Amino acid sequence: MNRSVLTNPYVLIAPGFFLAAFIILWPLYELGTIAMSDVNRFGQIRGYAGFDNFLSVFRDPEFLGALARTGVWTLGIVFGAILIGLPVAMILNEDFYGRSVARVIVMLPWAISLTMTAIVWRWALNGESGLLNSGLRTIGVIDTNVQWLAQAATAFPMQIMIGILVTIPFTITIFLGGLSSIPDDLYEAAKLEGANGWQIFREITLPLLKPFINIAVVMNTIYVFNSFPIIWATTQGGPANSTDILVTYLYKLGFRFGRLGDASALSIMMFALLLVFTIIYVRLAMRGDDK
Amino acid sequence: MSLNWIKSAALAGAAVAVLASAAQAQNIRVTVAEYSSLTGPYFQDAAAAFEEANPGTSVDIEVVPWDVLLQKLTTDISGGVNADLSIIGTRWLIDFVSEGIAAPLDEFMDDELTSRFIPAFLEPSIMDGQTYGLPIAASARAMYYNTELFEQAGITEVPDTWEELKAAAEAIGALGDDIYGFGMQGNEIETDVYFYYAFWSQGGELLNEDGTSGLDSEAGYAAAALYKSLIDEGLTQPGVTSYSREDVQNLFKQGRVGMMITAPFLSNQIRDEVPDLGYGVAAIPAGPNGDRGTYGVTDSIIMFENSQNKETAAEFLDFIFTHDWRVRFTDGEGFLPVLASVAEDSAFADDPDLSAFTALLPDARFAPVIPGWEEIASITSDALQNIYLGEVEIEPALNQAAERINAILD
Repeated sequence: MNRSVLTNPYVLIAPGFFLAAFIILWPLYELGTIAMSDVNRFGQIRGYAGFDNFLSVFRDPEFLGALARTGVWTLGIVFGAILIGLPVAMILNEDFYGRSVARVIVMLPWAISLTMTAIVWRWALNGESGLLNSGLRTIGVIDTNVQWLAQAATAFPMQIMIGILVTIPFTITIFLGGLSSIPDDLYEAAKLEGANGWQIFREITLPLLKPFINIAVVMNTIYVFNSFPIIWATTQGGPANSTDILVTYLYKLGFRFGRLGDASALSIMMFALLLVFTIIYVRLAMRGDDK
Repeated sequence: MSLNWIKSAALAGAAVAVLASAAQAQNIRVTVAEYSSLTGPYFQDAAAAFEEANPGTSVDIEVVPWDVLLQKLTTDISGGVNADLSIIGTRWLIDFVSEGIAAPLDEFMDDELTSRFIPAFLEPSIMDGQTYGLPIAASARAMYYNTELFEQAGITEVPDTWEELKAAAEAIGALGDDIYGFGMQGNEIETDVYFYYAFWSQGGELLNEDGTSGLDSEAGYAAAALYKSLIDEGLTQPGVTSYSREDVQNLFKQGRVGMMITAPFLSNQIRDEVPDLGYGVAAIPAGPNGDRGTYGVTDSIIMFENSQNKETAAEFLDFIFTHDWRVRFTDGEGFLPVLASVAEDSAFADDPDLSAFTALLPDARFAPVIPGWEEIASITSDALQNIYLGEVEIEPALNQAAERINAILD
């Protein structure tokens, strides 16, 4: 059978490829050029620099701290959101009176811009006039005000908590989709065989939900790793860079200090890190599926 | 065939863009920082009045929040799509001049235009004998104090030295659990500046004569020890490292701190938000040897070297630096007058708050003209935050910060 040129697979993926190239590859190429060049603080290229910018990022004392914190931040939020999201999604999947209202309420935080949520939290966490302190004092948990954002020991956990809170709606959406794809007769059969709730969860729900958990892990990781507003709006990475993650550190490098060469080098490293993580994770997850 | 179609569409698009830019040869774009909600309307009105007075010109105003101004300028310049004029912080000017981005304005300026300005405010925009910017906004810092708290605490004299300030802060702090003597900034932009007030009063200088950092000096250690003792003795609000300047100003407006150091715009905010608050403005306290210093800040409006309409842009500059437009700007934003005629205007000359600020101008120091100032400020702020938190000893922290700063200065 003669295939028309128009149905050639390469022709068919061409529009998508060009769109992706325009949005991803071209900026990446530009970034690579800047990262390998000697640039001034306005991004104008002055000469070739080789890997100097990359080395300069590694030598920066703040870099390793921000890298480690990014790991804690990403793992904390991604797994926190799954741990809380899974039971909530299972409850919302049950049939109960007012379920649709409950679903809307759980989804609502998603409708508010991340920056606005973070700013509201900044007010709530204010040491002197914050809602959280006055609430905790009213119910007698604390006697004196806690200065939540004054040191990393309290600020960073709070930021991770805000991160979990805003990641939950998206995670639940994925889980609800997954739960509705599990046929009811599996549960009925299990009940007839006398399985208890935990057994049903371990043997039926969890394995069948696994692909959806994988999607949640990958997508949330990409999103959280690059998430800027929560930390910037609450502490700007302070005090003394102790709550900086890679993106906030990147912003300071590029737009505060004018070290655009270093900032470009760091962006490329972050892109590579995320890409490698995603490839490894997807391969691991897929291998599990093949068995 | 489809490729041809894309090609011709792209060409048509490019042609339209070229035509559009050719049709507006007298168009200038101006990037302005949003100081308050009045800034945008002010410049829009000025642009409209200018267009009316100069038929055939058009002025596009781009209002950018102050926090992202440098970011926008950086991306615009690196993409070659910057405006013709822009407001910048004068402390960034050296970077713009050394990279050949700001155009010298002297060929567009006559003596009459130069003579309109108060010399102290024009001075920071002059480099190597050339004027690269005109001061659009000027501000200095002074100490605000709450007269009601002073009265309740039985303080009759406004503190003039840090010793007196400490005693006053103790008396005010004793008034109640939620009331603090001295409002201390410890987070975000200008955390370093809040420290310089004490540093300068101890006789410190940001740069030594040999061009190295002056932080690792006796003055630096003494100033840090002073602030740390205020924090440790509970004379400031708790958790200073979470308080930006705006947060401390909010406490002051709530009547919960006795004293704080900030810029004249707090007067406007008090007038609009808490008109009943009793307050006064005084000089920043002096050190043991009578030294004192306030921080002078100007923002400049600069012309870009790659502007295609420098003549029109210069005419617009001349236009907005006339008496009436400056009166409206200065009054709306709560800055100090930069034009001599505006300073003499009764609305400003008779204002006691502004007089307190202008009286301090002889002691005003401007940010040193060195490249990389923002990074130096950030290193200083980081060291101070660690000191305030009690995580490091004062001397090693300041020595280490000075070492890092010297590496940038080299």
